[in-house]
This record gives sequence, C-alpha cells and structure tokens, in this order.
Amino acid sequence: MTAEPDDSPMPLDPQALARLRELDPDGRQGVLMRVMTAFDTSLARMIAQLDAEGDGGNAGVVAGIAHTLKSSSASVGALALSRVCAEVEAKLRSGDATDLRHDIDRLVVAAEAAQRSVAAILRP
Amino acid sequence: MSVVHARADEGLPEQPEVLLVDDDEVNLLLTALALRERGFRITEASSGELALKLLRQRSFDLVVLDAMMPGLDGFDTCRTLRRMPGFENMPVLMLTGLDDDASITKAYNAGATDFFVKATQWSLLEGRLRYLLRASRTRIELERSRAELTRAQDLARMGSFQSRRQLGFQLAPEALRVFGFGPLDAVSMRSLLRMVPAEARRKLSDDLHKALRHMSPVTTDVPAVLLDGRERIIHVEAEPEFNEHGRASAYRGIVQDVTERRQAEDEIRRLANFDSLTGLPNRRQLILRAERALEHAKRLQHQFALLLIDLDRFKVINDTLGHGAGDELLLQVGRRLVACVRHSDLVLDGSVESAGARSHRALEAVGRLGGDEFVALLPEVGGDPDAERVAQRVLEELREPFLVSGQECFVTASVGVAIYPRDGSSVVDLLRNADVAMYSVKNQGKNASAVYNPMLAGQGREKLELETALHKAIEREELVLHYQPQIDVQAGRVAKVEALMRWQRQGRLVPPGEFIPLAEDTGLIAPMSQWALREAARQARVWKDAFGFDDAIAVNMPSRLFERTDLVEQIHEYATQSGVPHRMIHLEITEDSLMKDLQAVIPSLHRLKDIGVEISIDDFGMGYSSLSYLSQLPISELKIDRSFVRELDLASKSTAVVTAIIALARALGLRVVAEGVETDRQLRVLERLGCTMMQGFKFSRALPAAELQRWIVQNEALLSGRADDSGVPRLVNG
Repeated sequence: MTAEPDDSPMPLDPQALARLRELDPDGRQGVLMRVMTAFDTSLARMIAQLDAEGDGGNAGVVAGIAHTLKSSSASVGALALSRVCAEVEAKLRSGDATDLRHDIDRLVVAAEAAQRSVAAILRP
Repeated sequence: MSVVHARADEGLPEQPEVLLVDDDEVNLLLTALALRERGFRITEASSGELALKLLRQRSFDLVVLDAMMPGLDGFDTCRTLRRMPGFENMPVLMLTGLDDDASITKAYNAGATDFFVKATQWSLLEGRLRYLLRASRTRIELERSRAELTRAQDLARMGSFQSRRQLGFQLAPEALRVFGFGPLDAVSMRSLLRMVPAEARRKLSDDLHKALRHMSPVTTDVPAVLLDGRERIIHVEAEPEFNEHGRASAYRGIVQDVTERRQAEDEIRRLANFDSLTGLPNRRQLILRAERALEHAKRLQHQFALLLIDLDRFKVINDTLGHGAGDELLLQVGRRLVACVRHSDLVLDGSVESAGARSHRALEAVGRLGGDEFVALLPEVGGDPDAERVAQRVLEELREPFLVSGQECFVTASVGVAIYPRDGSSVVDLLRNADVAMYSVKNQGKNASAVYNPMLAGQGREKLELETALHKAIEREELVLHYQPQIDVQAGRVAKVEALMRWQRQGRLVPPGEFIPLAEDTGLIAPMSQWALREAARQARVWKDAFGFDDAIAVNMPSRLFERTDLVEQIHEYATQSGVPHRMIHLEITEDSLMKDLQAVIPSLHRLKDIGVEISIDDFGMGYSSLSYLSQLPISELKIDRSFVRELDLASKSTAVVTAIIALARALGLRVVAEGVETDRQLRVLERLGCTMMQGFKFSRALPAAELQRWIVQNEALLSGRADDSGVPRLVNG
C-alpha cells in the first residue's frame, strides 16, 4: 500500500521472471519480450474497459476483468496487481457490489502501476 | 524412472495434439510455450466459440479449457462439446482458479474429465495431461476389448449371467442369444428352467440347491428345448462372488451352447469304437470290453469266452458278386450274429467306470475285428458247453440263405472258442488261441466250431514258423532248383530237363510237399516261381556254355502267374538277361489249376506260344479237362500223371487210361510224356503204347545242376549209342 502513490515503477517479481526465462533459457524465442508485450496490450485493453464501466458499471464485467488480470499478472510477476484483482474479484463474487467505483479505481491504479513496471522492462 | 515413464506412455501419440483455450492472451501464450517445451503440439484458441470451430475441423487428443471466459465460458463450451457426436469421451481438462470449489463441481457437471488449478508449475500440468491421455487410452482399449469379448462370445455361442440378491437374475445380451431371446427380452430363471426336460430339470434343481447351500461352484451340461423347438445342450458354469465380509453376495457365470461340440465328441467316440460298416463294436472296443470282462472274471472267479467267427469262402463271394455285395453280406451277417447273444451297445471308454457287480453282463456283444472276422464276447460262462451252445446258435443262424444284390447266397462260418482262464490269461492270448481253434475248423472242412486245446497250438505254431521262414527263403537264397532229365528213349537222348524247387532250410532239404502248399496258401508261390524262371534261364546259359546244352528247361507255374499280364515280358527279360532263346524255357501248368482259371489263363498261353515258349499240362488225367477246350488250347505237351504210370505194372485199367491219353495227344498233335517211370516193365509198356518220352527214377532222380551236368555228359554216349537187346538203353544210375 505504501508503494502505491510512488511514481517509480515497482519491479516485477524476480521469481516469476526467472520462471519465464526458464521457458526460453537462451532467449532465442524472445519469450520474455513476447509475454511482456502481450501483458502490456492486455493491460491497456483492461484499463480501457474498466474506465468505460465507471459509475453504475456492471459488477459481473468488473469481476471478470479482475479474474483475468489476476492470473496473468501473477504469471508475469505483477504480484501487487494480482493481489488487488483477487480481493476485488472475491468481494464482487460474494455479491457485495457496493462502492463499485472504488473497486474500479483500485484496479486501474494497480494496473497502471503494473504498466509502468512492464514498460521498464520493454523500454529500459 | 525414464524407462517406467516410457512404458506408461506406450501406445500414446508421440506428440499429443492439445487444443488450449483461454481468453487471456498472457496465459494462453505462457501455457502454450510451457507445454510445447514439454513435447505437446499446441493449438491456441482465445474463446470457446473458436475452440468448438477448431474441434469440428480437425482432431485433437485432449482439450484444455479455461473455465472463466467472456462469451461462451469453459463450462458451456464443455457441455456443447459433449453433445457433439464422437466427443463423448474426449478428455477435457478444465482450468479453474485457486480455491474455487464451485467451479470444480460445475466443471464435472459440465462433463469435464478433470480440473486443474491454474498455476505456473508447468510440470504438474504436464503430468496431469499425460495422466489424462493414458486414462483415455485405457478406456479406449477397454471398450475395444469389451467389443471383442462380445464378438467372441457371440461366435462361441456364449454369454454371461449373474444372480444377485437385490437385482435378481440377469442375463447379458449374448447369453440371451444363446437361449434364442432378443437382447431386450426379460427372461426369468424360472422360464429358463422350463426349457429343460423334466428329468434333467429335477437333477439340475437338486444340483443348484446343493451348490447354493454350500456356496460351491456349478459346472454342468443341461439339455434344453428352446422356444422354437430346437434341442440344444447348454454348458453352465457359475461361481459364487464374495463381498468384503466373506459372504457370498452373488453368482456369476457363463452359459454356452455346446451342442455341436457334444455331437462331434459323440461322433468321434462312435468312430473310435464302432465299425463303420456294420455299426458293431470294432477291434478297439472289443478289446476294451474283453479286458474289462477279464478283470471281472478274475475278481469274481468265473470264466468268460471269446468266440472267433470267420466266414468261409467270403473271398469267393466278394470276388464274384463284387465288394458292394460283400459289404452288404457282412452287414446282414452282423445282424444275425447280434441275435445270437445278449448284445449291448454300451460304449466303453477308458474313462467310463462300470458300476455294480453284475454290470459285466453289459459287456456282452458281437463285434467285427475286420474283414470277415467277427468276435462274440460272452462275459460269463459256466464252461465249454455254454460257449459251444452259442457257437452252434451262430452256425444255425447263418444256415438260412442271405439275399445279396438280388441273389440268394449261402454262407457258413468257422468258429474258434477260447475260454478264460483255461485257454489264456490275457485277451491277446485268448484271441490268438480262438484263432488257432478257428483254423483247425477250417482245415477240417469248415462250417463247424471247435474249442481250443493245446494240441492245436503246436500245429499252428509250427506252420506259422514255417511260413515266416519261407518269407525269408528267397532273400536268404535258401531256394535251389534241382533238375530231372526227360528222356526220348526212341532217339536215345535227353529231350528236356524239368526244374524242381527245393528249400534248403537250416542244412536240411524241406520236401516240396511241405512248403509248396504253404507257398500257394500264402501267395508266396508267385515270387518263388518268378525266381525259379530267372534261375532256370541262368542255368540254361551256364550249361550251354559248359557243354553245348541246347534243350529246354521246364519250370512249374501256378495258374495265378499266368493271370499276370507281364508274365511274357518277364520271361523275355530273363531269357534276354541270360542270353538264351525263348524256346529254351518251357512252362508246366497242372491240369487242375489250368481248368480252374481257364478263361484268365488263355490269353497268356497264346502270347507265350507266339514267342516260342512251349506249355505242357502237368499231372494230366487227374483233372476234369474238357476235351473241347483242350483242342483249342495253344499247348504242346501232356504229361501223364505218375499215378497211372505206377499202376502200369499191375492194373489193366491204367493201361486203358494211358492208352487213351496217348491216343488223345496224338489226335491233337501233342507230345506226351510219362512221369514217374521207375521200372523196366513200365518203360517197356509205355514204349509199346507209343509213348517214348519218359521221366523218372528209372533214369535219374532230380539232381543239383552240377551233378546233372555230370550225369548228362556220362550218359550221352550211352544214350546216343546202341540200345541193348531189349531196346532199353543201359544207363549209369544218378
């Protein structure tokens, strides 16, 4: 939580990165870059979708986005985002749709933070 | 480890085709990468809709489905997939989130094969995929083998059934088919039992109750009449099934239609034990029964009898009426013989145990040993009279004529009786001695019976030994020819030489009277005569070279050799081999045997005459020659039987016969030779009657070749020189 307002990018989890590198030990397939690019694209789309929900949004759609981002962010090591996604998804799935605006904001903030972390790898 | 792994994956595709479905491109990318790395071929789909489309286009070994997807989610995709034909058993792995119990249940309800919690531990995922592939393969194989089993059971007319306390009695479709029902028919145990004939049903019920009480297995063959009336034999095998408490909870088993097998077994048993022509017990079955009878007789200390029944003159009937008629006769004889005993059709097999002390009565039978030989087995007799009574009944039964091929014919039999234990302690001994007794009947004029006694055996054995020895006489070169000269007293020279067979056995000469009849009985006379022909031709050549011998050697031939179409060729061959002309071989055939087979012999006589081989008729005057035939036969010579010559000394009647024969010969243009000339008186009478060719002890007995050569050389001068006052040459006796 203390890191959230900070502008400097939060580094991705080194263990997750190591697992990604294992998939392509000599880097010939450019796995890391392909995964990061895919994640980056995915983030941009999700943020746009979340923004579109805004006030009076659909809790189901938001939970779906949280679900998707939860596992992909875990995979690439964006653990903070993954955690926020899990919390929001769990809250919404339990039927608690109060203050959806706040949930959306939490997700967007965390997603944008992850975007910056990814950018640090894609465009160092 | 790797070896075990490889074996576990045997039969699996080397690179399994996996359809990977996930809406999140990051996960899709990562999972695909990880699985490719581990040897899978991955096709990616970013939605359920796309996945279904791909599945319709090409085949996959396995589908990995993300559960949560926008649009058609994993559960719906799976449900749709399962409804598509051919995808009922496709392995589907559902990827769910952590701690998502609801999804797990939902996944199974949607028809997923298994679920997997999304994670980046790829080796776990790999392991799960391989496990699913193996399970799927096992399932396919199981289904295939179940199909094969069904097919095999169908072919074997076999099916399974079970009987459970709660579920009752159930037949598998294949088992229903065994009983002629359709696969959907409901069939109760009771309705099946109703197909079993009453008596067998009672026994079956007893057996089943007993088995149920002791919880023991059931194995039995049951006759059944199916609803369509077909009679079948059903083999039933069942075993109790025990639950975990060791209590029998069910019976499981199979039923099989074994009708054909049973029929085949029965047929084999029949063929092995019964004669196919008469349907009577055959040699094997007779010997089995006789052995059983012998055991009984030994144990209970009583006697039993074997009657060997051999038809007289059966060969004649076979030869004149044909084999079909012969078979028909044997069949009828078999029927009549059966009527002479308390014949039982029981089949005795090594495996079947007779029951009860008096069951040996059931062994009583008439059987056929082969050819025209039958045996009656009387398992218990009080003594000879019992057996002889049956033998008389047999002879009596055969007295009525048989109607064969529309012709009445009469058959008699010779019966030999052997009784246990007096006449033998084994079946083989008893049969042999019955045979000896039977032969004694044959020798004494047939159509009678005789009980064995040891005196008969002596004769039989001697004859058998002689026969065996005679068989080997040719190859051991024990046969020799002796030669007796035939003198032309008028011309004063040797006209011809007759070859006479001798057998040198163990340093002693066996008289022809002892072995020639035996040779004729056994057929050995044929090879012996052929040998004599070759030997005579060889000897003619030896003499020709030694002292210019240029006359003929006469060889005695049985009529059966004249029946051989190659006799002429053989004589030609022997003569050519030795380098002598055909005319140096003459053949003698007795009047008896010539007349017996006249029609068969005539063609050979003509051909022989054509090549220059002369024929003389031996022992003439004893037979019943038809004079009209005699005039047409291509013969050259008649030999007056020695019995007439012997009596020339005494009886005037003989003189009349000899006179007649000489006159006949002259009229037919034949030479005439007198045999057995021993005295001066005989010689003079014959000469006076006009017979100048003579043979006998008066001149020389039959001599070995070398001695005869000496005899001829010594007597040549005398023979060709002056006769004394009486006109009779003085000869040096051989």
